[in-house]
Amino acid sequence: MTSPRPIEVERLSRKFGDFVADDEISFAVAPGEIYGLLGPNGAGKTTLIRMLTTLLPPTSGTARIEGHDIVREKSAVRRAIGTVSQAQTTDENLTARENLAVQGKMYGLWGRALRERIEHRLKQVGLWERRGQIARHLSGGMRRRLEIARGVLHRPRVLFLDEPTTGLDPQSRRAIWDMFGELRSHDPELAIILTTHQMEEADHLCDRIAILDAGKILCEDSPAALKRDLATGERVELETDRAISEEDRRGIADEGASDVRFDSPTHVSFTARPGEATGRRVARLLELEGYHIVHLTIALATLEDVFFSYTGRALREAPPAP
Amino acid sequence: MLALLGIAAIGQRAFLTLWRQPVLVVSTMIFPLVYLVVLGNAMNRPLESVPLAVVDEAGNAYSAECRRGVLALETGRRLVTASFVGDRASALDGLRRGRYRGVWILPFGLSPRGPAPSFIADNTDRFSVETLERALRQVWQEVSAPRDVAPAAAAVQLDAYPYLDYLTYLGPAVVCLAIFMGSMVSGGLQVLEDRMFGYHEGYLVTPITTGTLVAGNVLAGALVASLAGGLVLAAILVITPLSVAGGTSVAAAAATVFLTSTAIAALWFLLFARARSASLLRGMFGIINVLLFFPSGALYPVESYPSWLLSISAVDPLTYGVRALRNLLLRGAAPRAVFSDWVFLATFTVVSGVLTKVLFRREV
Repeated sequence: MTSPRPIEVERLSRKFGDFVADDEISFAVAPGEIYGLLGPNGAGKTTLIRMLTTLLPPTSGTARIEGHDIVREKSAVRRAIGTVSQAQTTDENLTARENLAVQGKMYGLWGRALRERIEHRLKQVGLWERRGQIARHLSGGMRRRLEIARGVLHRPRVLFLDEPTTGLDPQSRRAIWDMFGELRSHDPELAIILTTHQMEEADHLCDRIAILDAGKILCEDSPAALKRDLATGERVELETDRAISEEDRRGIADEGASDVRFDSPTHVSFTARPGEATGRRVARLLELEGYHIVHLTIALATLEDVFFSYTGRALREAPPAP
Repeated sequence: MLALLGIAAIGQRAFLTLWRQPVLVVSTMIFPLVYLVVLGNAMNRPLESVPLAVVDEAGNAYSAECRRGVLALETGRRLVTASFVGDRASALDGLRRGRYRGVWILPFGLSPRGPAPSFIADNTDRFSVETLERALRQVWQEVSAPRDVAPAAAAVQLDAYPYLDYLTYLGPAVVCLAIFMGSMVSGGLQVLEDRMFGYHEGYLVTPITTGTLVAGNVLAGALVASLAGGLVLAAILVITPLSVAGGTSVAAAAATVFLTSTAIAALWFLLFARARSASLLRGMFGIINVLLFFPSGALYPVESYPSWLLSISAVDPLTYGVRALRNLLLRGAAPRAVFSDWVFLATFTVVSGVLTKVLFRREV
């Protein structure tokens, strides 16, 4: 009998009146995996997380956390999960340590076990020195770290992170990314599901990503695979010292360049399939023909490009009106 | 110009915010009316149905006349609810227990030359006492006057309890007001505030049961309210002359404060169990204040209320709190006397708690 997977979602849907926030979402997450849900604002990520954390009932479909049904076995689900939501759930009038003490009690921890756990987690997130500080006086990044400590205090099997670094400065963001890495190395069985609209975060942290738009999953794979499967992901810009001849222009196309465009006789830009080093081959070709390359830029495909290829829109734009 | 625009913008926002919440508009308009209706009917009404015990020890023509006079007061003016009690001791006992507001004793040998009737008043209720005393004096004057030349013996009035000034009389009322105010700042209402900021997500995802949530919040609210009530109780014990209160009475008073607090805290949570926004609370606070505090008999005797107001009093925890505190602190009653009030308060708390648990929707 195989042990149940941390997260199994089957055609989960949520409607608000006529508006469909999540439309028959299905996926599964393995132990030790960091699974990302990437999508623009309004894609249905937070609603999905709320359903999986028993805060909102689904309108149809099922999901199981560690084998427990999210509708019928709510208590078991709640015991197995930790959540770091977008809202501030730490009480601003309590100190860092008091916040964790209150949280721990709600999971049945108390006494010495609770104290030891609090110390361990506060040290893990780098807030031990500030354990006596009132939460209101902590900076945004520290507050977020406290939320994360709160989420993992009771050693959940599954961790839900809803936009964990949104609104933070790049430095705090890095610090939190490093912390996730540490959490993972301490607890290799922990399954993490992460929602974000920032592609660098999904790219950097996740083992697999599902791209979500308007309540539907568009594609699902590892970041590398998603980018690799793009036909036109890599963007190359080349500037030469003299005008490129017609013959050589055809040569560029032969190497596998698409959407070839000449901004000027000496300036060419095109797209190519990622991973085939088309840009370098074209540059090599031109050099062999006697051109001198003044300038070469290769922009690798990003998840933003993946999203664009599916929807025709940028990740940061608002979704079209229903 | 910018200043004017700014003022206009703020005014516009305030108006729109109010207008988009119709419940708030309605409650704001209705509140003064509720205040007026309840207050008008709870206070300044002609006194009615004051319980009076009459002990006829004379058994002569004069006492019969007096008894007829009392019956006239009962049926005509409806001032009293008269009970004709056989012996003095049980009448006075009833007075001590709060069953009667006054005892009119017609002594053996009652006559215009003396002895005159004695009126023993529950002076913890000054409104009733003054009116009763005046009415009974008038009855005696009518009975005694036409038949004799010598001036009628003056009716005797005695106070059942040591003198109380109005401040002392108000003591129990103020304690209950403190409990009420204290209950507002914590407990179930905290959950409502949490919903506004998203804090509630933090504990709704934990394994604690809805029952735990309700019980915990009711207890928390009760503790805060008890603290407020307890402080005021301590204050009045110090600054007002409550000579009848003994050690056990004080302890019983503290227990009463706690039980009343739990009942009020449970009531608040129940009222707002399904509410989604805190602005509803702001609109309703005034109305609920009036509906809970004034019908409790804290300021004016309950017997005089119209029946619809009496039905509110019957379920209002503050009514029982005020009554119990009055018995314990002002009449020096033994704790046993307020057990029934305690039973009501405890039952009220449990029933409210269960209803709240059923109504509360544990979703975001």
